[in-house]
Amino acid sequence: MPSVTYISASGSETAVAGFAGDSVMETAVRNGVPGIVAECGGSLSCATCHVFVCADSDFAAMLELEDDMLDGTAIDREANSRLSCQLKLGDADIRVTTPETQV
Amino acid sequence: MNAQPVIVRPASARPAPPAAVAAPERSGCPVAHAPASAAPDAVLPEAATHHGYAPFAMTNPFPSYAALRENEPVMFNAEIGYFVVSRYDDVKAVFDNWQVFSSENAQAPVRARGAAATKIMNDGGFTAYSGLSARIPPEHTRMRAIVQKEFTPRRYKKLEPTIRENTARLLRQMLAHPDARGDFLTDVAVDIPTITILGLLGVGPEMVSTYKKWSDSRAAMTWGDLSDEEQIPHAHNLVDYWTECLRLVSNAHEQLAAGTNGDNLVFDLVQAQSTGSEISDHEIASVCYSLLFAGHETTTTLISNTIRELLAHPAQWQQLIDDPSGIPAAIDETLRFSPSIVGWRRKALVDTQIGGVAIAAGSNILLLMGSANRDPGTFEQPETFDINRVNARNHLSFGFGIHYCLGNMLAKMQDKIVVEETLKAAPGLRLIDAAAIVFADNLSFRAPTSVPVTWGDQK
Repeated sequence: MPSVTYISASGSETAVAGFAGDSVMETAVRNGVPGIVAECGGSLSCATCHVFVCADSDFAAMLELEDDMLDGTAIDREANSRLSCQLKLGDADIRVTTPETQV
Repeated sequence: MNAQPVIVRPASARPAPPAAVAAPERSGCPVAHAPASAAPDAVLPEAATHHGYAPFAMTNPFPSYAALRENEPVMFNAEIGYFVVSRYDDVKAVFDNWQVFSSENAQAPVRARGAAATKIMNDGGFTAYSGLSARIPPEHTRMRAIVQKEFTPRRYKKLEPTIRENTARLLRQMLAHPDARGDFLTDVAVDIPTITILGLLGVGPEMVSTYKKWSDSRAAMTWGDLSDEEQIPHAHNLVDYWTECLRLVSNAHEQLAAGTNGDNLVFDLVQAQSTGSEISDHEIASVCYSLLFAGHETTTTLISNTIRELLAHPAQWQQLIDDPSGIPAAIDETLRFSPSIVGWRRKALVDTQIGGVAIAAGSNILLLMGSANRDPGTFEQPETFDINRVNARNHLSFGFGIHYCLGNMLAKMQDKIVVEETLKAAPGLRLIDAAAIVFADNLSFRAPTSVPVTWGDQK
């Protein structure tokens, strides 16, 4: 089971066990991890599951729709921004940083 | 929103209350029956009145919602033939489980089309179907992925300056009324989202009133309770409306062939089709048919409700004057407390259960988001409008899951602009008589019929 570590904007860390195939967003919501709202439930419609990923993470490249939706995040996007509903867990442990706010 | 299952029912056509049940006759009955025991009599009136739930009454449904959540959170209502679901967790779970609870009835007509209207619509070539809301996977998945590209912040953030200009102009016009009185609904809230959605589809603002007329006919024909005779003029309007949607698609094809850039959603969809996206002309026209109706009605209601609730709570209005950064939270709280759509339909595909209540395959289900949003299990002091609430955003007013409102961010952006401009242009705005505002009868839509405001000197 991969471990997912969520690092808040203030630096506190929450680590939870995830399941391969689940999204980083689902894993956060199911475990009550703060910092990810995911209002729409994963249909790429709300841009409230914004995270910053590490440079060495090997998630699949984003599709055009995710790229367009990232223009609507509450905290401005950066080069390593992703929507966590689109990030599927594999076997590797991962770390993501959540923005100061999603709304 | 992609579509609203509006069930318009004129007050005069509403069924009589079950008086015979509520007030059982105890004397003079010609039929001899056993002495009534006290217990069933005590229970019967409450159950028969559905805990006060009247499906079409919208002015203040909230006490009945509270009674439903408390006493019968999954209740069959014989008047409409639907299981009515009122608790937050149940509503959310049904939305999330699209494999079991299909959206195929989301646009089902409440009343069968009469023979005359049917002939008009068949002769007129009317073949419109749901844009997205009543379509189901895999068709829904395929179409939504294509249409959704047109509803991203990247596209509509470009519209912001125009929306702001339109808002400032409409506010100036309202504030020029010599008697210092206006109706925020008709003076501002109607035009803003209508101009925006028509613009997105490449239709000019001069067509606003025509599309409003067609929208009204769509609401009445698809979700209304009209007599066969009353349906006739609306049937003609729907033929015109659908013909216009088909024309928009053929027009976009002509532009594409001529090498002209259409710069609107219809053109983009036709262009996507030409480069391999799997979407037919009929499907594009159906998306137009939905958006040209649904892209403004609920946003008009959201704008009206935000202004109305804030003015009804002057301390919170003042808070936003002092610090406009709270506007997005105020919009979320409005969506929670006073959503544009309070009930939305689903159909069970297999024998299942909701909240422990058995639901047979084929059953119709009405999810009351307006009730879920006030579930004390999710929201503290749920009957209080509080723009400082931390979890207002957990409301279910845009649905949840695969059919989540495609236009949610566009709606909120427009509402935010209107609130910002109104706070600046008319900080002294007040409701004339908050208690007198009523909401039109409807199954799903909860929309005020007017929002009378004044900005004159305090009397």
